[in-house]
Amino acid sequence: MSEVLANISAMLQKGKRKDVARLCQQAIDEGLDANVILTDGLLAGMDVIGAKFKANEIFVPQVLVAARAMKAGSEVLKPYLAGDDASGKGKIVMGTVQGDLHDIGKNLVIMMFEGKGFEVIDLGVDVPTEKFIQTAIEEDADIIGLSALLTTTMPVMAEVIKAAEEAGIRDRVKIMVGGAPVTKEFAESIGADAYTEDAPSAAEKALELISA
Amino acid sequence: MNSMERVVMALNHQEPDRVPVYPLLAGVSRHLIGANCREWSTDADTCVKGLLKAKEEYELDCIVTLIDLSVECSAWGQELIYPENEAAHPNYRNQVIEDEDSYDKIQYVDYRTCDRMMMHIDVCRKLVEAAKGEYPVVAFVFGPLGTLSMLRNQEEMYVDCIEQPEVVHDAAGVITQVLKEYCDALLATGVQGIMFDTLFASGSIMSKDMWDELEGDLVQELAEFVHSKGAMVMIHNCGGKIYFDAQIRRMHPEAISFLYPPDDCADFAECKEKYGDVTTLIGCVAPTTATVGTPEKLEAECKESIDAMAKGGGFILATGCELISPNAFPHAKHMVEIAKTYGAYKK
Ligand code: B12
Repeated sequence: MSEVLANISAMLQKGKRKDVARLCQQAIDEGLDANVILTDGLLAGMDVIGAKFKANEIFVPQVLVAARAMKAGSEVLKPYLAGDDASGKGKIVMGTVQGDLHDIGKNLVIMMFEGKGFEVIDLGVDVPTEKFIQTAIEEDADIIGLSALLTTTMPVMAEVIKAAEEAGIRDRVKIMVGGAPVTKEFAESIGADAYTEDAPSAAEKALELISA
Repeated sequence: MNSMERVVMALNHQEPDRVPVYPLLAGVSRHLIGANCREWSTDADTCVKGLLKAKEEYELDCIVTLIDLSVECSAWGQELIYPENEAAHPNYRNQVIEDEDSYDKIQYVDYRTCDRMMMHIDVCRKLVEAAKGEYPVVAFVFGPLGTLSMLRNQEEMYVDCIEQPEVVHDAAGVITQVLKEYCDALLATGVQGIMFDTLFASGSIMSKDMWDELEGDLVQELAEFVHSKGAMVMIHNCGGKIYFDAQIRRMHPEAISFLYPPDDCADFAECKEKYGDVTTLIGCVAPTTATVGTPEKLEAECKESIDAMAKGGGFILATGCELISPNAFPHAKHMVEIAKTYGAYKK
């Protein structure tokens, strides 16, 4: 692999925004394909970050700075990326459910989704149920991701699933749920398609759901 | 045996008649007196009325004055939103520290200018009066880094923790000075101790080294101050894999209220073995179980905590974090029953 790609991955892991952006530009100037830079540089780096996070070797702050570095790099690559390649994997509508303001976990999940090449529409926090459904329809999303950190807002996830049924989109959209108090049993009991404990596994699960 | 005697024995690592118990009912107590969240968290009398009602109705052995996590930050002028049905929180679109260069906005303030802190002090005074020494009242205070995180968007602050740790530490240091005077005033009401929320000393958030570097010396200063006043230091941390060792080294707490086994223990039994002699363990029933779990599941979790940690005292049965839904009330009652029956110490 070219040295510049390895450097991009390394700098991304260190969260060096400016270096990542500079190296991405350098790679472009050297004539490398933007998709290759994305996959073998940025996303490769994010993969390492995900694995280390999962293994408790690094923590939320490190993941956040790495993700920002990835954003900085993607900005540089954007004009050179062929058509819809960046979103080739599928579209995910993601948010924290109504009444809940916790967003760190949701944001990490989004970063990992993006790290696997998904296009993510981030609806933010305290998202009304209808908003999930409406956006999923408008954007023809493949997956809806719901995050809830409060025992009072966990049941809201069930409402979103119900609303998806009522809107007639349940058979074409997968619904993933997560957040610290959510359990596998709870996810099953409300009829979610998937639950995972952490962000890296969420991204892997999403890939599975899409290819299933 | 009254609650005070029971809790004191537990804290002295002796076995009282039964394990002391307090499902963490705070803001949710508003439902018991027909108040909304805004009223409960802005009016001392309403707040006291709710907390006392919860104490009485659920026979709690201790009152912890967790109002919400935005009491402290309001001293620096953080705009808050007071929803009727949710805990007060900062207006995240208008944070005092709006960018990475604005940490110098955090300067010394006199806690007496802060309505919310003054209200909390008033709440403590009234609770202590009502308690008449029959049960402990513990004042809840968000730690320096936690307070700072309510003034700066959390996510941005995490990034700042990596990119300019000294700046973050210095601002938290200024906050510490104010918290110290605030703790002094809280202690003057006669509360038995201060429970510091050390949100960030947890594997859910940051590494042990980073926590120690950013907040370790500051919470040490606060803990030493509280101890110098002859009061107890307690810690509340509901994160996953929390750092018992680092926090104990810094704060020498009389008790730790937690939800999950610490980072260096596989389970609660190991936690007891490792730390049972140095501090009192408070927990560790999941708020989820105590809200939406079946009675069987709740019973199993209470028993698990009791079996693992009650032996020899040094244990209080509690939920690992606040119960915020009124659905939790029957579970709270059930928990107290379990403490009275299964939690009885055999003499
Ligand atoms: C930080 C924090 C806060 C911050 C939030 C800042 C922010 N911008 O997000 C602040 C201080 C503002 C806060 C406020 C409150 N909080 Co809070 N908070 C926490 C804490 C300590 C950590 C949450 C966190 O950021 N974790 C780190 C991230 C990375 O982890 P995560 O969110 O779990 O996400 C991971 C996985 O769950 C998963 N995941 C997350 N979402 C999704 C989605 C999908 C689809 C998938 C597949 C996976 C997935 O992947 C993530 C990464 O691996 C938790 C304790 C805990 N143990 O979780 C309490 C906790 C969530 N809070 C709690 C409470 C009570 C509150 C308050 C009500 C307190 C109060 N009285 O003021 C308010 C509520 C405000 C509101 N209306 O939402 C309680 C809830 C208890 C209950 N009974 O429900 C908790 C659970 C503490 C506990 N253990 O009991 N809180």
